[in-house]
Amino acid sequence: MILDWHSAYIVSTPLAIRAMELLFALSLGIQTLEYWRMRSATQGRGLWIWSIQRYDIPQPSLRQFLDVLFTPASFSALLALRLLALLSVAIQGGDLWSIGFLFVSNLAILIRWRGAFNGGSDFMTLVVLTGLFIAQLVSHFASPELGWRAGFWYITIQSITSYFMSGSVKLLKREWRDGRAMTIFLNGAIHGPLRTNHWLRKPWVAVISSWSFILWESAAPLALLDARLAMVFCTIAALFHFLVFWYFGLNRFFWAWLATFPAIVWCAGQI
Amino acid sequence: MEVYWVIGYFLVLALTLIYKTPLIRGPWIFLLRSFFPNWKFFHAVGYVPHLYARAAQVNNEGKLTWSEWEHLYPRTAQNFWHLFHNPVTNLGLAQQNLIDHFWADLNEAPEGCDPRNLVSYQMVAHLVDGVLLDKYPDHTQSNLNCACY
Repeated sequence: MILDWHSAYIVSTPLAIRAMELLFALSLGIQTLEYWRMRSATQGRGLWIWSIQRYDIPQPSLRQFLDVLFTPASFSALLALRLLALLSVAIQGGDLWSIGFLFVSNLAILIRWRGAFNGGSDFMTLVVLTGLFIAQLVSHFASPELGWRAGFWYITIQSITSYFMSGSVKLLKREWRDGRAMTIFLNGAIHGPLRTNHWLRKPWVAVISSWSFILWESAAPLALLDARLAMVFCTIAALFHFLVFWYFGLNRFFWAWLATFPAIVWCAGQI
Repeated sequence: MEVYWVIGYFLVLALTLIYKTPLIRGPWIFLLRSFFPNWKFFHAVGYVPHLYARAAQVNNEGKLTWSEWEHLYPRTAQNFWHLFHNPVTNLGLAQQNLIDHFWADLNEAPEGCDPRNLVSYQMVAHLVDGVLLDKYPDHTQSNLNCACY
């Protein structure tokens, strides 16, 4: 199939690329600035000191390389370079070098935080970064049309899978079906426990909310049937991620998933 | 054409919810686990590990006196602007993730394994030392206790 590169399916390909690059730069920029502010936690009496974590690395030679990379000065330089690369992506769009650097440095940062700092948001950030890297690599060696098609579909499938899996596993749990799970998680959350008279403690509210999340997440693949449906899905998803931020403090999830929405809408327009 | 691939993919995905596959473990699998997300969020309803610590100081009679147990469970207040910059909450979440990993490491450790060799134990002990040093600068001994409830 030959793509009609400039047709607006709701979002044209160039618009989807630009929207995703901007949202991704914002998402990773927020993460990088937070890492910058957390540097004290990686030194001295901070929890995340490298002198202990280095024993996670099985190969002594690689451990020595990372000892150099993760000195306070080198790590600060790495974060500063990432901010510059992100600025370049936001202003003039991504290229193989800026995205390639962000991809490799992201692996280093994940290792610095024992594989993941914030769980799901790290996974989705890596998905978008991998999608952008695929797009740049294929564009460089084959064609931009094929590259962005591959990149967008990789990101879309992973993002839709995340909703589908998250909803389906909840459906299989009795505690989610009867609404108890939501209260349990909210009480254990970083902003918890819920006040005794909090509206989310009402069993009927918990049941309705739980089932709304389960059905909406499990139905995520349907968003790919039509670009307008995908727009509605993404709008609800943004609200959902805001609630997750508000009640669980997961601000990075909001931005990491938001960066996938241009790809979802674009792919839905292609089917 | 894509629509058939998408339908096929989600059918396979639905099957993976029913059929369990064996877990693959290893140090590099752990460090690069972001490449293999399972996307199962908030599904494990059950007990959460909680970390407690206490410090001992030598009193005038030369005897050890132990403090009350401190519950090291991160809590922060809600704030709209944290949507854009939230390092304190994210560090708290990362700290609790570490406790979860420590608990998992303890449970998966072979019989007779010394937990002090675990990186997660050393990090948790370092966390406890830091917290207790702030609160009890003269303490000479400390205890940590991890309970799941």
